[in-house]
Amino acid sequence: MKKRKVFTVMVSLAFLFVFFGTAAAGTLDEIAQRGELRIACQTQGAPFSFVDRNGKRTGSSVELCELIAKEMGVKVKFLNYDWDGLIPALLSKKADMLAADMTPTLKRAMKIAFPDPYMYTGSVVFVKQDSPIKTLEDIKAGTKMAVLLGSTGESDAKKVFPEAKFKTYKGGGPLLINAVLAGHVEAGVNDGSSARSQLSNFPPNSVRILEGQLSRSPLAFAVRYDSPDLLRWLDLFFLHIKLDGRLEENLNYWVNSLDWKKDH
Amino acid sequence: MLESFNFRVILEYMPLYMQCFLATLWLSGLSLFGAIVVGIISCAMRLSQSRILRSIAGVYIESIRSTPLLAQLYFLYFGLPTMGIMLPEWVTGVIALVLNSGAYYAEIIRAGIQAIDFGQIEAGIASGLSYFQRMRYIILPQALGNTIRPMLGQAIILVKDSSLLSLISIVELTRAGQLLTSERFTPAEGFLTTAAFYLIIYYMLKAFSGWSEKRLIFREAH
Repeated sequence: MKKRKVFTVMVSLAFLFVFFGTAAAGTLDEIAQRGELRIACQTQGAPFSFVDRNGKRTGSSVELCELIAKEMGVKVKFLNYDWDGLIPALLSKKADMLAADMTPTLKRAMKIAFPDPYMYTGSVVFVKQDSPIKTLEDIKAGTKMAVLLGSTGESDAKKVFPEAKFKTYKGGGPLLINAVLAGHVEAGVNDGSSARSQLSNFPPNSVRILEGQLSRSPLAFAVRYDSPDLLRWLDLFFLHIKLDGRLEENLNYWVNSLDWKKDH
Repeated sequence: MLESFNFRVILEYMPLYMQCFLATLWLSGLSLFGAIVVGIISCAMRLSQSRILRSIAGVYIESIRSTPLLAQLYFLYFGLPTMGIMLPEWVTGVIALVLNSGAYYAEIIRAGIQAIDFGQIEAGIASGLSYFQRMRYIILPQALGNTIRPMLGQAIILVKDSSLLSLISIVELTRAGQLLTSERFTPAEGFLTTAAFYLIIYYMLKAFSGWSEKRLIFREAH
């Protein structure tokens, strides 16, 4: 009887150690062991992460992620989510990392950990070409505005135009442009670089972007708070590519110009 | 598992949920009424003597049943304005639900009517009842009584389909869950609460169908 008890205790202790053993291993170790970096991203977020006209996944964030995986020496696996599915996917451990044009707001940082931002952008307002709205000052109380659910544009717009009437959409920036063109709203609000690149897919001179930005906001990738090793690694990664010019090359091609339109 | 479940957030968002619950009730109630009316009319057209009416109803029912509701909804919302027809969101949403469920109701009611023995209609004609009297006193009470269960099923589908209206910026129960998720990053709390409210609507519908079924059977017995 006593022997059996000792045996039970030993087995449970063994299980406990195995359990703690795996729990103690960091996310980087896990990724290296798995040989695969899992990334949650969008398919509708040109120029950061989207599917080009050849059906190939590409974009600024996608190329950065491929670079990250190359530097880590692992394969990369992209998981597709809608904008508001990104954070839940990361938190539920479906992905190791989130790569999107996401602003590290204080509110989001309550749940997920952001490495240092790698670029800055801002929300812009766009209207139909023949709209009476000429400047940001023309937006009055009751102006109907389209925003994306949970986006930085949404919170910026609500801060700058508290009196406007908001319609919230889900499913990507092009929907906002469609809502403006269809006349359901008078203006749309989205991140500047996304809005500019998405507008280039619409007939020229159908939509006009108003002068000025609503905010200056940083962009960063994100990980979970239980991955401090990955967080530290990413900070170092962005420092390296900033210093050797690979980041600038990426951003100049994808974000600061429409050069990529020729190839994708 | 439960210790990470944040009841405080749910409580904080309860006013929003109540408002959205009423919105879903009102949108799907209105659509349900419209869909049954459209269903009865298009079913009557489908069973009519006129070939033109029959084929109009046929095209409507077939084309609705063969395309997804989301495509119909996007067509009505983004497509119609380019053709010059501009409707508010909630009207677009109700029209989409009415047209969609109406086609299914037409088929459900048709099955109910065709299940009635033709001898009864002959008996009605022999007793000198008019077409509308036959419909009112013989066919419809039985057809509707027989089809309460499939009609309830379709009503539940309609309520659940109303969640798609969140995609055209209508604020209803599913949008409430999405809002809670995107503002507080608590998907479990957000969508479980949404699901609980849908469950309440389901039991309300079930109680109503049970009550009306009893009432119809009671009537038949006398």
